[in-house]
Amino acid sequence: MLTVCPYFHVHQPYRVKKYRVFDIGNDTEYFNDSSETDLNNRRIIEKVANKSYRPTNKILKELLDTHPEFRFNLSFSGTVLDQFEAYAPDVLESFQELVATGRVEILADTYHHSLAFFYSVPEFKRQVQKHERRIKQLFGVKPRVFRNTELSYRNDLAKWCEDNGYLGIMSEGWEKYLGWRSPNYVYRPAGCSKIKVLLKNYKLSDDIAFRFGNKEWVDYPLNADTYANWIHAHHGDGQTVNLFMDYESFGEHQWEDTGIFDFLRILPEMVLRHPDTGFKTATETVEAYEATGEYDVPDILTWADTDRDLTAWIGNDIQRDAIEATYKMEEMVMKTRKRDIIENWRKLQTSDHFYYMCTKWSNDGDVHAYFSPYQSPYEAYIAFMNALGDLQLRVSQVAMERELKQQASEINKKAEQTNYPDVTKPPDEKATHEAPEPQSTQEPEPEPRREGWWGKLINKVPFFKSPRQQRTSS
Amino acid sequence: MEGTETLNIHIISRLSAQTSMRVLTFGWEFPPQKNGGLGVACHELTKELLQDGVEVIFVLPKTQETIGDARFLFADDERLVKVLHADVSLLPYMQGDSTIDVIVGYDSEGKPIIRSRTIIEEAHRFAHQAAIIAKTEEFDVIHAHDWTSYLAGVAAKIASGKPLILHVHATSYDQAAGNNVDPAIYKIEKESFAMADKVVTVSEFTKNIVVNKHHAPAQNVEVVYNGCHMNETAKLPPTLAELKRQGKKIVLYHGRISIQKGVDHFIRAARRVVDVDPDVVFIVSGSGDMLTQVIEQVGAAKLSNNVKFAGALWDEERDRMYQAADLMVMPSVSEPFGLVPLEALQHGTSSLVTKQSGVAEVLTHALKVDFWDVDEMANQILASLRYPAVRRQMVAEGREQMRSMSWKVAAQKMQQLYRSLLQFVTS
Repeated sequence: MLTVCPYFHVHQPYRVKKYRVFDIGNDTEYFNDSSETDLNNRRIIEKVANKSYRPTNKILKELLDTHPEFRFNLSFSGTVLDQFEAYAPDVLESFQELVATGRVEILADTYHHSLAFFYSVPEFKRQVQKHERRIKQLFGVKPRVFRNTELSYRNDLAKWCEDNGYLGIMSEGWEKYLGWRSPNYVYRPAGCSKIKVLLKNYKLSDDIAFRFGNKEWVDYPLNADTYANWIHAHHGDGQTVNLFMDYESFGEHQWEDTGIFDFLRILPEMVLRHPDTGFKTATETVEAYEATGEYDVPDILTWADTDRDLTAWIGNDIQRDAIEATYKMEEMVMKTRKRDIIENWRKLQTSDHFYYMCTKWSNDGDVHAYFSPYQSPYEAYIAFMNALGDLQLRVSQVAMERELKQQASEINKKAEQTNYPDVTKPPDEKATHEAPEPQSTQEPEPEPRREGWWGKLINKVPFFKSPRQQRTSS
Repeated sequence: MEGTETLNIHIISRLSAQTSMRVLTFGWEFPPQKNGGLGVACHELTKELLQDGVEVIFVLPKTQETIGDARFLFADDERLVKVLHADVSLLPYMQGDSTIDVIVGYDSEGKPIIRSRTIIEEAHRFAHQAAIIAKTEEFDVIHAHDWTSYLAGVAAKIASGKPLILHVHATSYDQAAGNNVDPAIYKIEKESFAMADKVVTVSEFTKNIVVNKHHAPAQNVEVVYNGCHMNETAKLPPTLAELKRQGKKIVLYHGRISIQKGVDHFIRAARRVVDVDPDVVFIVSGSGDMLTQVIEQVGAAKLSNNVKFAGALWDEERDRMYQAADLMVMPSVSEPFGLVPLEALQHGTSSLVTKQSGVAEVLTHALKVDFWDVDEMANQILASLRYPAVRRQMVAEGREQMRSMSWKVAAQKMQQLYRSLLQFVTS
């Protein structure tokens, strides 16, 4: 028996608009670009929905209806689900229909498509939990197999997943760690005793995801018949062929004119033609097969580039500077207990922001340039750091207000022995969200920019302490 | 010049794989004279060509000191013409009707006779002598640098029948920043391009001008980027130490102060920057015909405390300024190439350049804005000063990238062009 475990990853980030230094302190909307560029998130969702999500879901639904044996896995970032809800609710519904068949499994993930595990495990855990709640709410299921951002993986991540009750985790099947062994078996992560790891067959996966439409490729044009034969060739030397790829491979990375939709439409039939071949979801796969050996990955492994590491995200100085500045804020951000601040901070953790700052201009770099909505990595970095600077200002602002309130209440307590309510008690998240600063309906007055103190304050971020007229009054 | 002569096209090149190629080159300036980037480019290209075994005969309009191993001819040499010693540099950046004082001869007492000439008259004089030189020298191909030498190149082609390459380092459109293009210079450019076998530009940006404004056929125009040297530079004694001690950040402009260079936009961006961060000091290093206007603009914008004029800096003084600067800005409205950001990188300083420059095509690791987008220029200046990681990275990766931009590559491309033209003649 040979089974195929297809898994499609669905994700869109909230791209940061061209946020300028002058916007710091004046604009808390970092993601609302409305231009005709690829920084306009609504525009991207609408474009990709037409090119990829809508036509592909239609085909997938037909395939599920036609082939009772057909099954596959999906993973969603929370940021793409939020954007479907806001900009393309019909796409979200079509995904719900797929999942309702019971033959489409949803994988666990971080809500914000972040690299939090490598910077802050507590924050990582909160994002995974938030993601789980969202999946339950939208699809009524609880994920049991975990996949991390960009398929990033390390032994301690597998251990974390085991400790948190997951049955399986996904990773890249990379020779450096596999040695002579095949990715087409189920393995046990080093240091774990229960959880199993599913390894991407990158050769067969990338044939679809990267090479399908490449006219220079020796196997171009690839038809489903040939491809199914390549899968069938693993009969006898494997149990599961794990085809992991971006969902957007269908119609967005590989355009319709490459024939990708026709390929997809016929592939399950071609695969099932061989008598002893089937499909399994991730959970079914880890439950069906025993681990055949140990997969020991002490350093971060991803599915990206020729190096299979995180250098496309945190390989250069500006990327590391930006991501470290982001996670450095964690304690201050969480202390605010302001839902909008926390949410903005998390949206800034999405790995794509750091990817846009990549300066690897070799073969890999070309791919990055194609996927970046910015004109240069430096432009991406500047927009990001400016937005982060504003967030730092807001965080300091809240901390300062709290401090002032606390001082005021202490003075009041001493002055009058009355029964005023305890205003020093931190309000809960919900309460602060529903009751923002009271005069917020008023338009803030234009910033008195030409005053010297203003520039000085701006430069004191992140540990801004001085009073600031605009924000306290708006 | 004798533009009516018919071309002698029955030239069979003596060139074979073994014999070396000989190039008759016309230029207007050459180191060690201190002018713009033109002389530097001519020198570097010549040096690499000589190393590759190409013989270069370099013709300059007047006697001057030179460096390197090329054979130099001077168009004011007594042998060739009777008189003519210019007593000032002939700056090709001048307008066509700018006048220069030229020694046209000597009176009976030996005192020089000085007359005013326009630069165009000088270019014509150069062309006249080029024709004489072309008839006496042996060479395979003609290569003329910049508009002041185009007529000389064309005259040499007519006199000898050899193929002609015109090398465009700047155009009348750049110098006028698009407005009030000097019609006399434009005419020389356009007619010379039409006579050339190949036109070489230093960037795609300039190729677009030559194709769209001068109507040179695109297939006749080749881009050969300037090279540069990635020398390890010594740490010089610091300058502006007092400002730095006060925590000021230094933004440097270095170049001519003319409409082409966009210094006025730079000052407008400075106003926006200082509104946000009064601790930024802008240094303007250079001189030019817009200096007074820019000084007035600084006064009107109440920026006298934040904008300092350093005069034209050269050599060590300039290098010290590069090293002191936190950021170099090249705000050019129209810049065929632009070596300044590369010079700054050698001294460990990153740059903001305009997209209207050739260097923006080859240097990935610089901030880039449209020259007219003053707000974005100010934003990027402020951001790069606030986030030092971005400057560190642009320097580290930019220096790495510079190692691949050698004059050797430029010289090799030139040799390919020479050969392609010679094949055309012999076939």
